[in-house]
Amino acid sequence: MVETKKIMWMIKKDLLVLWRHKPRLLSLFLFPIIMITLFGYGMGGSLSNVPVVVVEQSNGPITDATLNAIKGNSIYDVKSIITDPNKGLQMVQNGEVKAAIILPTNLNDLNTTQQKSIVVDVDSSNQIAASAIIPATQGLFNQINTQIAAQKLQPILVQSNQVNSTSNGVNAQSITNTINLQINKLYGNITYLDFLVPAVIAMTILFGCMFGMGEVIAGERERGELARLFMTPTTITTVIGGKIISKLVQETGRAIILIIAAILLFGIIINGSMVLTLFLLILGALCFVGFGIMISARVSSMEDYQQSVMPIAMPMMFISGVFFPIETMPWIFQKLAYIFPLTYLNDALRAVMLKGVGIGAIWLDVVVLIGFTAVFFALGVTRFNRDI
Amino acid sequence: MKYAIETFDLTKKYNDFVAVDALNMKIDNKSVFGFLGPNGAGKTTTIKMLTCLIESTSGTANVAGYDIANYPNEVREKIGMVPQQFSLYGDLTVRENVDLCADFYGLPDDLKESRADELMELVDIKYAQNKLVKQLSGGMKQKASVVASLIHQPDILFLDEPTIGLDPTTKRVLWDLVEELHSEGRTVILCSHDMYEVELLCDEIGIINSGILAAFNTPRGLKDTMLREKKEKKDSNIISILEELREEGSVEPSVEFDNLKEQIERKNRDLKELSVMISNLDENMLNTLKNMPVIHEIVEHDSGRIVLDLESSDDAVTQIISEIIGNGGNITSISTKDPSLEDVFMSVTTRNIEEGVDDG
Repeated sequence: MVETKKIMWMIKKDLLVLWRHKPRLLSLFLFPIIMITLFGYGMGGSLSNVPVVVVEQSNGPITDATLNAIKGNSIYDVKSIITDPNKGLQMVQNGEVKAAIILPTNLNDLNTTQQKSIVVDVDSSNQIAASAIIPATQGLFNQINTQIAAQKLQPILVQSNQVNSTSNGVNAQSITNTINLQINKLYGNITYLDFLVPAVIAMTILFGCMFGMGEVIAGERERGELARLFMTPTTITTVIGGKIISKLVQETGRAIILIIAAILLFGIIINGSMVLTLFLLILGALCFVGFGIMISARVSSMEDYQQSVMPIAMPMMFISGVFFPIETMPWIFQKLAYIFPLTYLNDALRAVMLKGVGIGAIWLDVVVLIGFTAVFFALGVTRFNRDI
Repeated sequence: MKYAIETFDLTKKYNDFVAVDALNMKIDNKSVFGFLGPNGAGKTTTIKMLTCLIESTSGTANVAGYDIANYPNEVREKIGMVPQQFSLYGDLTVRENVDLCADFYGLPDDLKESRADELMELVDIKYAQNKLVKQLSGGMKQKASVVASLIHQPDILFLDEPTIGLDPTTKRVLWDLVEELHSEGRTVILCSHDMYEVELLCDEIGIINSGILAAFNTPRGLKDTMLREKKEKKDSNIISILEELREEGSVEPSVEFDNLKEQIERKNRDLKELSVMISNLDENMLNTLKNMPVIHEIVEHDSGRIVLDLESSDDAVTQIISEIIGNGGNITSISTKDPSLEDVFMSVTTRNIEEGVDDG
C-alpha cells in the first residue's frame, strides 16, 4: 500500500513539475509535431520538380518522344530547351538548374552503328537532388535505348499490356507502344515519408526517454532531491519503478500525439493494428528508459549523463535505419546496426505500420527488444547507487 | 538505549584513498553532538554511512539501536536529515514536498496533516505553505527542509551545515528548534563550521581529520585538553633544557633542582589564566593572593593589572574573587583567558597535519 503511494507520488510529482514548467509541457506536445513536420516537409515524400535544362542537338521522332518523356516525369522541371551543350553546362555551374541533359546529335539516326552517348551534367553538390536525378535519368534512357532497339527489330517484337507506370514516371507508351513495363508494388505507393514516419516516432521516443531519464535521475541526483528520497525507508526499485511509470505515461502520450500529427498532416495510414503499434511504442519506451537508468545509475550530474549518452544515441540514430535502409549502408554499419535496439524497433514498427503484419511476423524483433530491456534494467538496478 | 550512535571501526575507502579510517565513537542518546572537521576530512562520508546512503568498506555502526548494514530501512525510519545541499523539489510547493516526504515515511493520512501544520508553525513557514519552493528565500527553503525532515518525528536528526548563509533571525529560529528537539529527548547530530553555534548547542563534540577521529569530548573538555597539552609541551621543553644543562655540568644535582622539576610538572594542572584589575592593589593583597593554593603564579603589570595562573577547579575563580573582596580590594575589571573552540579546532586539525607531515 505504502509502495503504491510512493509510486503515485513519483508520477504526480513529475506531472506537476511538467505542468508548472510550461515550456517543457509545450515541448512535449510540440516536439513530435515539429519533428514530423520537419521530416515530412523537409525530407519526406518523393522528390519532384528538380530544375533541369535539356540540350537537343538533332530533331526527329526520338527526340520528340524523349522530350515528352522528360516533361511528363514529375521529377523534372524543364526550365528550358536549348541547343548549345556549353550553355547547358554553364547553367548548371551558375546554379540555374541542377542538371543539363544533353541529347546526342545522332539520336534520331536508327541506321547508325555508332554509340549514342547521352551526357548528364549534374550538380553533385546537392546530394539529395543528384541522388534522385541520376537513377531517374538512367531509367528513362534505358527505356529509350530499348525503344531504339525495338524499332530496329520491329518485326519480331511482341506486344504486351502495360500494367502500371514506371516508378520514375516514364510514360513508355508516349515513345512507342511496343515497350511494356510492369512494376508490381507489393505494399502500394510507399513514399519516403511513409518509410520515415515509423522510424521518426521511434527516434522521438528514443530521445524523449534517454534525455528524460537523465533529467529525472541524474538531474535529481545532482540537485540532491534523489538523496532525500533514498534517505527514507524506500527501496531503489520503488523509486525507479515510479520514475519508469511516470516516464512511460509521458512518452506514450507523446507517441500518440506523433501518430495523430502524422495522420492529420500527411495522411499517413497505419496498415496494421493500432494496439500492436502502441504496444511496440511502449516496449521501445521501456527499453530506452532502461538504457537511461543503466547509464544514470553511476553518474552524478546531468553533464556526465549527456556526455555518456550522446556517443551512443547519435550513432544509433544514424545507423539504425531511421533515414536510410540498413541494406544500403556500408557493411560495417550494417553489422553495427544490430547491436542497437532502435534497429529492431524501427523494423517492427515499419512492418506493422507499413506492411500491416501481425505479431507473428515481428516476434523476433519483440523478443530482442525484451532482451535488451531486461539487460538494461538488470544492469541499471544492480549498479544503482543511492548516492555518488 | 545508552547511545544513539555507536561506530565500530567504521571505514570507507575509495580505491586506495581512505576517506574514513576505523572510526570508533559513541554518541549519547538524547544529546546534541557536534561533528566537526575541515573540508574533505571525512565528515560527510561518515554521515552518509550513518544515514545508509553509502555502504561502509569495513566496520559497522549502530544507529538508533539498529545495525546500518543489516537494518538500513529500520535506521532510515528512525533518522531525519537536513542536508547541506538544498534538496526539496523546487517545482512543488512546501506543502506538497512535506506531504511527499510524509508518504515516503509511511505516515498515516490523519497524522500527516496535523503534524505538518504543527511543524510549519514551529518554524514559522505555514504562511508560505502553498508557495513553490523555488520561489522561497534561502532561509525559508531551509525551514521547509527541516519540516520535511522532521515530519516522521525521527529519534535522531542529522543537520549538515543547517545555518550556512542564513540571516541571524533565521539562525536563531533553527537554534531554538535544536534546543526544543533536545528537550524533547531527541538526538541531534550537528555538522557545522560555525564554532559559536556548536559551542552554544552541543553537549559533546567530535573532530574528524583525514578520516581519523582526532578529538572527542565536551566543549569544556576539549579546551582543557588543549591547554593541558600546550602547557605540557612548554614544560617538557623547560625540563629538557634543564636536563641538558645538568648533563653539560652547568647545574649540580641537588634537592632544589629536583623540586624545581617537580614544581614545573605540577604546573601541568594549571589550566587557566585570570586577568584582574584592582584599583587599590598593595603588597599585602599580593602576598595574600600568592599564598592561595589555587594560584601558582602571579605576574604584576604596571597598570595595576595582575595575571594569575590558576588551577582549573570549578571554584578557583570564585575563591580568588572572594579573597580580594574580603581584603578590601576594589576589582574594576576581570576576565579569564580561555581558548575558544576555534583555537581547539585549529590546534587539533593543524596537529594532525603536522603529524602527517612528520610521518611522511
